[in-house]
Amino acid sequence: MASRPSRFPSASPCGALLCLALAPVALGGGFGAERDWSTAGIPGGAGLALRTTKALVAAADGPQVVDHALILVKDGRIEALAPVSELAVPEGYAYLDVGDRWVMPGMVDLHSHVGGSRRDINDMVFQANPGLRVRAAVIPDNADLQRPIAAGITTLLFIPGSGTNMGGAGVLMKTGLDRYEECRLRDPGSLKIAQGDNPTRWGYGMGRVLMNYTLRRTIEMGLAYAEAWELHERGEGPKPRRNIQLDIFRDLKAHRVQVSTHTQYYQLVMMTILMLAGDYGLDVFIDHGSFDSYKASPLAVRHHVAAILGPREVMQPRPPRFNTDGQWQGTAWGFQEQGQGEIGFNTDAPVVPQEELPLQAAMGVRYGYLDHDLRSVRALTIVPAATAGIADRVGSLEVGKQADLVVLAGDPVDPRTAVSLVFIEGRLVYDSGEGRRW
Amino acid sequence: MRTLIRTKATLFLVLAALTLGVLPVAHAGDDEPKEKAAEEESSEPEEPQDKWFAVVDGDVYTGTGAVLRGATVLCKNGVIEDIGYDLWMPEETETLDARGYRVYPGLVAINSSGLFGAGSDLPNTFNPFGQNLVLALGSGITTALTGNEVGKLKYGTLEGVQVKTNVFRYLSFSKSSPAGKRSLREKLAKAAKYRRAYAQYEIDKKKNKDLKEPSKKNVDSNLVSLLDGKWRPVFRANERTDLLEIAHLAQQYGFRPIIQGCREGWTVADELGRAGASAIITPRDRRPKSEQLVREGGSSIENAAILYRAGVSVAIIPGNVGISLGGIVGRDLMHLTVEAAFAVRGGLSDEAALAGLTIEPARLMGIDHRVGSLEVGKDADMIITDGDILHYKTFVQWTVIDGEIVYDKEAHLYFAHIRPRPDSSLAPEQRLDAGENPPEEAAAAEGGDEEESEEASEPKEGGGGQG
Repeated sequence: MASRPSRFPSASPCGALLCLALAPVALGGGFGAERDWSTAGIPGGAGLALRTTKALVAAADGPQVVDHALILVKDGRIEALAPVSELAVPEGYAYLDVGDRWVMPGMVDLHSHVGGSRRDINDMVFQANPGLRVRAAVIPDNADLQRPIAAGITTLLFIPGSGTNMGGAGVLMKTGLDRYEECRLRDPGSLKIAQGDNPTRWGYGMGRVLMNYTLRRTIEMGLAYAEAWELHERGEGPKPRRNIQLDIFRDLKAHRVQVSTHTQYYQLVMMTILMLAGDYGLDVFIDHGSFDSYKASPLAVRHHVAAILGPREVMQPRPPRFNTDGQWQGTAWGFQEQGQGEIGFNTDAPVVPQEELPLQAAMGVRYGYLDHDLRSVRALTIVPAATAGIADRVGSLEVGKQADLVVLAGDPVDPRTAVSLVFIEGRLVYDSGEGRRW
Repeated sequence: MRTLIRTKATLFLVLAALTLGVLPVAHAGDDEPKEKAAEEESSEPEEPQDKWFAVVDGDVYTGTGAVLRGATVLCKNGVIEDIGYDLWMPEETETLDARGYRVYPGLVAINSSGLFGAGSDLPNTFNPFGQNLVLALGSGITTALTGNEVGKLKYGTLEGVQVKTNVFRYLSFSKSSPAGKRSLREKLAKAAKYRRAYAQYEIDKKKNKDLKEPSKKNVDSNLVSLLDGKWRPVFRANERTDLLEIAHLAQQYGFRPIIQGCREGWTVADELGRAGASAIITPRDRRPKSEQLVREGGSSIENAAILYRAGVSVAIIPGNVGISLGGIVGRDLMHLTVEAAFAVRGGLSDEAALAGLTIEPARLMGIDHRVGSLEVGKDADMIITDGDILHYKTFVQWTVIDGEIVYDKEAHLYFAHIRPRPDSSLAPEQRLDAGENPPEEAAAAEGGDEEESEEASEPKEGGGGQG
């Protein structure tokens, strides 16, 4: 076997199979000296053929797992994925056999504060600040992002803090890329709204009634502003005066952007759904859902509001405020029991470390969430991707999507599972063989 | 039969009277012992009963490397009497059916906060019914360090809680305190010199009986006993430089350090291994390397694995050593096994990770003759789980301390509803209204007497194999 395993002559499927069978399994360390596969999948590259024992597809529907799969990556995107018996390695593609390791889509965290400088994302100027943008604070290769990359988290919703009711606009960004233009997936990624305890820090200490009023007032101003622009664009009205405080409402009204709501308890989650989805028809998702928020699950289902939960995902008995009859009630399980088909998880990094996103799913399952049909993995991939409106690009191993791939030793949510390789858009961004730290 | 008992009772009385009588014989004329004997005679004391308890048919992970599938752990008076198959058991043995479950040694927390009660004075502040105590038992912890005492998490009793006091003795040897370093060095040198002088004195004494003992002036007797190998010092150290210096000092003077933290231990693992060091580490400790330094540094997920391979024994403890009730799960003492799972992520074997939660902390605290593994003669402290102890889904079903069930998942409200045991009244298939039978059972019951079949099914619900 002196020939390079990464090159295969064009052959009949049968021939390709034979070659695959003979290809030496390069494992451990840096997966052998052949490193042309590390960039073969990038735009303009030769193409990458990645063979795995188990591909966790995590598509919205259809088969969730493909055993003995071959994944073809070309120009940063997934070109094909099929059982190795049905797909040949095209000529010229770099070949990588990851042996008994699994491959899953890069994970997506919709509540994170580590995409840039942490101290610059919580300017508590007004009670509502829809004009602030964390875009101004993104540091694409900052030290905090080494850890999520090493854990297979490839997409973040980097959002403002929750010190005010409206913190501003977040950015959907990739973790492993060097420049803002490369790592930006969508800006604005969301409008961050915070409910409940944290924004009470503003001013003299706001009550929930005033906070609710402030949100309504700001949203109504914003939607009126957006409507004026729509009228103008249809030629039915004068050109409105630009107001950068309210610009984001044009995206919200057109359903190009969602509202990510930092909302925890039942009462807050209920008000979030009733106000934002019910009264104003905005695309809103529960972010940072915690504690007894599951009681709002039927309402969320009725209004098609997705639930992203974490990191406080258990309702513990702490009478008199929380009376659970002594039970530890898993929030994810609560949502599931009351009809929410699927839920997603978030970390609120650095409240819990960014790399512990999979652990949030593990703990959700530990405290009751029924993990069938790959739900614990979907909760970290396709569910958040669809929630943020980026499932056309990331969140599953489907043809045409960005090739964000994680190669790992087994069950992705088991803390024992080590990540070996991470690709973002076909580019190798992490290789445990080059020294593991996280 | 009756006579036999009577004979035995008389024998016992004679013995009791003898024991009680031996001392008072000196006090002639004192009637008390006789009175006592008379009292006992009238109340007909029972023969002291041995308390037998057995966990039957579980997969026993002894923590010594052995796994015995479907084996029995037999305990007598709180101590493991035997482990194996087809064991002889007295009829009165209380049994716990662990078929389909795993049996592990109880977990040993090498640090804790708030498990036992409010204060640091264990015997006087212990709350045997505390919520944190139950939650810790439900997490598999049976023994824990609090302050500088080791206690057992004995639910519902004040007996036998305290296991050991003055567990750790600390030394400091850090570049942050050069004066402290110099002082320790000097004291160790003096202690070593004294020991040599004393050894020489013991030889010379044989020839010259008038020889004076070497002076102990300015000699730290603690350090002399350290050099005698009587205890192991604990150092709080994380940085490579400090770790190296401790390793060198330990090798020079021949003691085995225990290092708390040991964050950069992976960069000097061989030196620590040669020094016979042990480490108490938190696998999820995160600190980037100092950018001012060229050499390796900072935390590494592989720390535990690298140290272990270099011969450094590793005990594992989470960063948060209390019970957290703030909604964040997976980071506190209740999720000790999750912390160990992160060490496995870094390359440590499952066995070594389990040892890091059981026998290693027991050894470091000097209580491994009693706890930390399932071996004959040790305390009957064990946990019965529904799966691999290091798996995130696994729950502790029963916790046993000193041969008594102190925690049953079904008996406490906290987790009883989460994946209940198949024989539980909480199991989904049993969640039926009164009088309602599942379809197949209803069909079967049609032929026979309904009341009878209900009665027959009842013990199933309540019994649960808990004996």
